[in-house]
Amino acid sequence: MLPFPGRLMFNPLAGHLPMTDIPGLPSRRSFLKGSAAGVALSALATSASAEKAEAPVSLEDYKREFLNDAEWAFVMAATARLIPSEGDGPGAIEARVPVFIDRQLAGDYGSAEDWYMEGPHDASASPQLGWQTPLTPAEVYRQAIPAFDAWCSKTHGDVFAGLEASQQDEALTALQNGDVELQPEVRDFFSILLANTKEGYFADPMYGGNHGMQSWVYIGFPGARAAFREWPERHNIRYPLGPVSISGERA
Amino acid sequence: MKTFLRILAGLVVVGVIALLAFVFVPVKRSAPTQNLAADWQPEEGQGQYVMYAGDCVACHTAEGGEPLAGGRPIESPMGTIWSTNITPDPKTGIGGWSLDDFRAAMVDGLMPDGTHLYPAMPYENFRFMSEADIRALYDYLMNGVEPVENRVQATQLAFPFNQRWGLRAWNWMALSHEAGFKPLGASEMQDRGQYLVEGAGHCAACHSPRNELMMQDGVTASQKTFLAGGVIDGWEAPALYGPNSTIAGWSVEETANYLATGRNAHSAANGEMALVVEHSLQHLTDADNLAIAAFLKGKDAETTEVAGVMKAMPQPEADAAGEETAAMLTEASPDMPLGPRLYLDNCSGCHFVTGKGAPEIFPELENNPMVVSAEVGPLISVILNGAEVPSTEKRPMKLVMQGYAERLDDAEVAELVNFLRSSWGNDAAAISAEDVAKVRAAQSTH
Repeated sequence: MLPFPGRLMFNPLAGHLPMTDIPGLPSRRSFLKGSAAGVALSALATSASAEKAEAPVSLEDYKREFLNDAEWAFVMAATARLIPSEGDGPGAIEARVPVFIDRQLAGDYGSAEDWYMEGPHDASASPQLGWQTPLTPAEVYRQAIPAFDAWCSKTHGDVFAGLEASQQDEALTALQNGDVELQPEVRDFFSILLANTKEGYFADPMYGGNHGMQSWVYIGFPGARAAFREWPERHNIRYPLGPVSISGERA
Repeated sequence: MKTFLRILAGLVVVGVIALLAFVFVPVKRSAPTQNLAADWQPEEGQGQYVMYAGDCVACHTAEGGEPLAGGRPIESPMGTIWSTNITPDPKTGIGGWSLDDFRAAMVDGLMPDGTHLYPAMPYENFRFMSEADIRALYDYLMNGVEPVENRVQATQLAFPFNQRWGLRAWNWMALSHEAGFKPLGASEMQDRGQYLVEGAGHCAACHSPRNELMMQDGVTASQKTFLAGGVIDGWEAPALYGPNSTIAGWSVEETANYLATGRNAHSAANGEMALVVEHSLQHLTDADNLAIAAFLKGKDAETTEVAGVMKAMPQPEADAAGEETAAMLTEASPDMPLGPRLYLDNCSGCHFVTGKGAPEIFPELENNPMVVSAEVGPLISVILNGAEVPSTEKRPMKLVMQGYAERLDDAEVAELVNFLRSSWGNDAAAISAEDVAKVRAAQSTH
């Protein structure tokens, strides 16, 4: 019951499923379109007491925990197309989504630490029946990225990261539509990547993404503030405060 | 000249003899205040009940140790005093004590061999207990408690406090009141409350001020300073008696609820008081907790039960003193100072913009004695490390406040504290980030 007072907005969280499921997601095109149609809210959060977020190390200098050079280049390029920087709000790169993905793959999520992984896994089963590959998420990234890069080289003449933006969009569309031949174990790579990208964009900054709570500011989400008991009855008044993160950052 | 020297020598000899007598002549024990028949027997459960009323467990049990087997460190300005084993173990406990020995400890602060107990043992208060209760307690400790062999660390205070004979002089002043209870006679209920408060409950040990000699200043209800508020281990023990007491705005029933369950519509017990509720007061009958409340409030209770009915409570609205703060927080302006912003970000979910908290669950911050106390350590500590309301028989759910040590830095905690101490009509002195740093450092050494 968090308030987004008096505001109709695109909600990228709609249709989002938890990481443990393979999401049945809206198409990438509609996602990107929706993003572009989003209401500009960035003017909303200015706070005298907003903290200056400490400038983190640049993405180039970021010390990776899981991804190798080629994988990092791919994740940087792919997330930059899934949530591009040219729209109204911050893109995946500004929000440091690649950092989130790298840290998640290095942690419990990447190794499917607390998942049931005994199978049976049936690549022909509906994704709604759960994780249908014996590979962990980290293994999916490790196997799918070279396969997809090989397809890009064959079809477009370079690995994904080396392509023009329009070619990248075409390649991602092909990947999403199942037009890229992939082993059954990594068949869901696109939806996993898209889900992780959105998670990195909207998760609390303590996980490495959503840097400076930019995505929260963008959509007007007030974050981990304790409560809003005074607000349900206050109609047509804009909620004025910017977000606060779990660790207490203010924006 | 010779005569003068002779007189002087004589005076010195008399002085030395007097001093030796002071040190070595045994102190006379007080006589029983009631003549009970030699074959008098306590009622079933009476002794254990007195043990609960006296909160013996709180001091005489080490953390993780056997109940009543002693060994708990009691920090005092003079040094650490180690509580003794009061199980009936003949070697390390009180198994070899006679009733007269036991009474002397309770009433006169004397060990069987005549040495003085340190007044961490509240014999200043226990001397008001009836002979029947003392005998019942003795009977319980001797026959109702399993002996535990546990030799506790001997208390070794630095000179001069290790010279226990000095306490004889201290006792001349501290024990100016006679043994035995003198009811004010307001009503049967209030007299019962007075008996529990003055005697076994030893409330004055914390809630009365102490004078320069560390004596309780106000041990009986007839004294002006009785329960006028004290400080225990850096926690303010608020005033409980009279028109300026913290509980002046509480009803008798609400006060009894607090005693029996550690919570009521206004407040929640934590720190030392949480321990008193947990180990002592929750075990008392409703009638006794109501009697204590009736005595403190100066009028009898209208009900006979404590916390008997659980009902949904309406959320309290801001009162006149709190209106301005509540309105400011409600507006949630991004231009507000850091203190209120931190309150909104961290506290208002439970304590609300009204500062009124939620009845029976979250304490009020307006006029909260801990929030406005001159002793700021507990408030800072609760913000940094959280707090926990005890689980009691009648209210088993433990309520826990999280700590914010990870989320707020020292400067932020100081801003927050200063907001709390100056809002909803609160008017207490500001603190600094250094004050917070001290509490944080003290906690991390534990």
